[in-house]
Amino acid sequence: MVNLLKKEIKLSSSVLSFLFIAFGLMFFIPGYPVLCGAFFVTLGIFQSFQYAREANDIVFSALLPIAKTDVVKGKFLFSCFIELCSFAVMAAATAVRMTLLADAKPYVNNAMMNANLFALGCALVIFGLFNLIFLNGFFKTAYKFGKPFVTHIIVTFVFIFICEALHHIPPLKAVNSFGSENIGLQLILLAAGALCSIILTAVAYKSACKRFEKTDL
Amino acid sequence: MVKVQNLVKEYPAFRLDNVSFSLESGKITGFIGRNGAGKTTTIKSMLNLVHPDSGEIYYFGKPLKGNESEIKGRIGYSTGTVNWYPRKKIRDIVATEKLFYKNWDEEAYRKYLSLFKLDESKTPLELSEGMKVKCNLLLALSHKAELLILDEPTSGLDPFSRDELLDVFTSLKNQGVSVFFSTHIISDIEKCADDIIYISEGRIAAAMPKNEFMSSFSNEGESLEETFLRLERGVRNG
Repeated sequence: MVNLLKKEIKLSSSVLSFLFIAFGLMFFIPGYPVLCGAFFVTLGIFQSFQYAREANDIVFSALLPIAKTDVVKGKFLFSCFIELCSFAVMAAATAVRMTLLADAKPYVNNAMMNANLFALGCALVIFGLFNLIFLNGFFKTAYKFGKPFVTHIIVTFVFIFICEALHHIPPLKAVNSFGSENIGLQLILLAAGALCSIILTAVAYKSACKRFEKTDL
Repeated sequence: MVKVQNLVKEYPAFRLDNVSFSLESGKITGFIGRNGAGKTTTIKSMLNLVHPDSGEIYYFGKPLKGNESEIKGRIGYSTGTVNWYPRKKIRDIVATEKLFYKNWDEEAYRKYLSLFKLDESKTPLELSEGMKVKCNLLLALSHKAELLILDEPTSGLDPFSRDELLDVFTSLKNQGVSVFFSTHIISDIEKCADDIIYISEGRIAAAMPKNEFMSSFSNEGESLEETFLRLERGVRNG
């Protein structure tokens, strides 16, 4: 498993995937839909798929002494690795915003969704959606990625719109808690986001393995 | 050593039709057929790059399905030229590739690197077509493979390199390594193959030792090349 990830990082990745991890810092920006940061991270991963296709990486990987499904595993490992790195950046930004900068005026008067544990849970759902729509869609042919990525863009922005709208519905105001307010609820929402992401990724992986086994290279 | 049984793969304009043959250990087998006869589809199916509609493939008595990583670790293969990671240095590609082979043979790698006169610091983009073929062969030869499966390994090589490569095959055979290579260059088969598998229009037309093939199919005084040309003309004329 470690070798698969090493191979993805050394041979198959675009430097943009790593640079775009920094978009996790968008969780610091007040008055901005912070979840767009998660979308930009997936855009960075997409760059690696573009590079890998140009470099004929899938055939190279399939010829290694590994099972054909391990090629899928390598791509999922790499995507999840980048997603987790950016999640760490987002979590750090959220922690600073919720504690040290809790009294900062731009954050207190923030009209958009706050960077809180609910937002982090939503970011994880975006990663899960990317894995389900893009990665799983890509392995249908192991070549075409335009349609899966456009679908991912549409679904993700609809999801971001819904997340941003939720706290404007009075009974759901608590999802936008600031700092450590309603911390119990925030923790539950984060856990729910993480669970949702894990389920989406697991379903995506299983389906992508099945699809790729039937793909002719 | 290898058993291919009733392999079927249907494309809109081509059908690999119940392809069956076996490869014996310690022998060089030439897989011959004209362009589009089904050589590459058969080899790709043997490497699980192509998903056959039906059929079974066994290596070392084990089915490929379910034993893919173990089997691939014991065989070396080359599907034409190196056409991946065009801007990465060969040294870096090899450094990553060898992580996956438990039996990576650095000594053999250095030996073939020098024999093929390859420069590790070059990228595939900087190599000629012939050198790309050699680069791919280098990877196939560097992990103590018991069997080599090579798709048109001599295509694109100059006559001297081709001759060198066929000598490498013979020397590997003497070390107990089996070689299965496809080609449409009949003189390659004439020079070093023990057995011949002849595929025509997706069907195995013959699979037997070279001498037996010649005594069964060649007319008196006819070379192997002339025999194949006559057989193929017969197929084309119905």
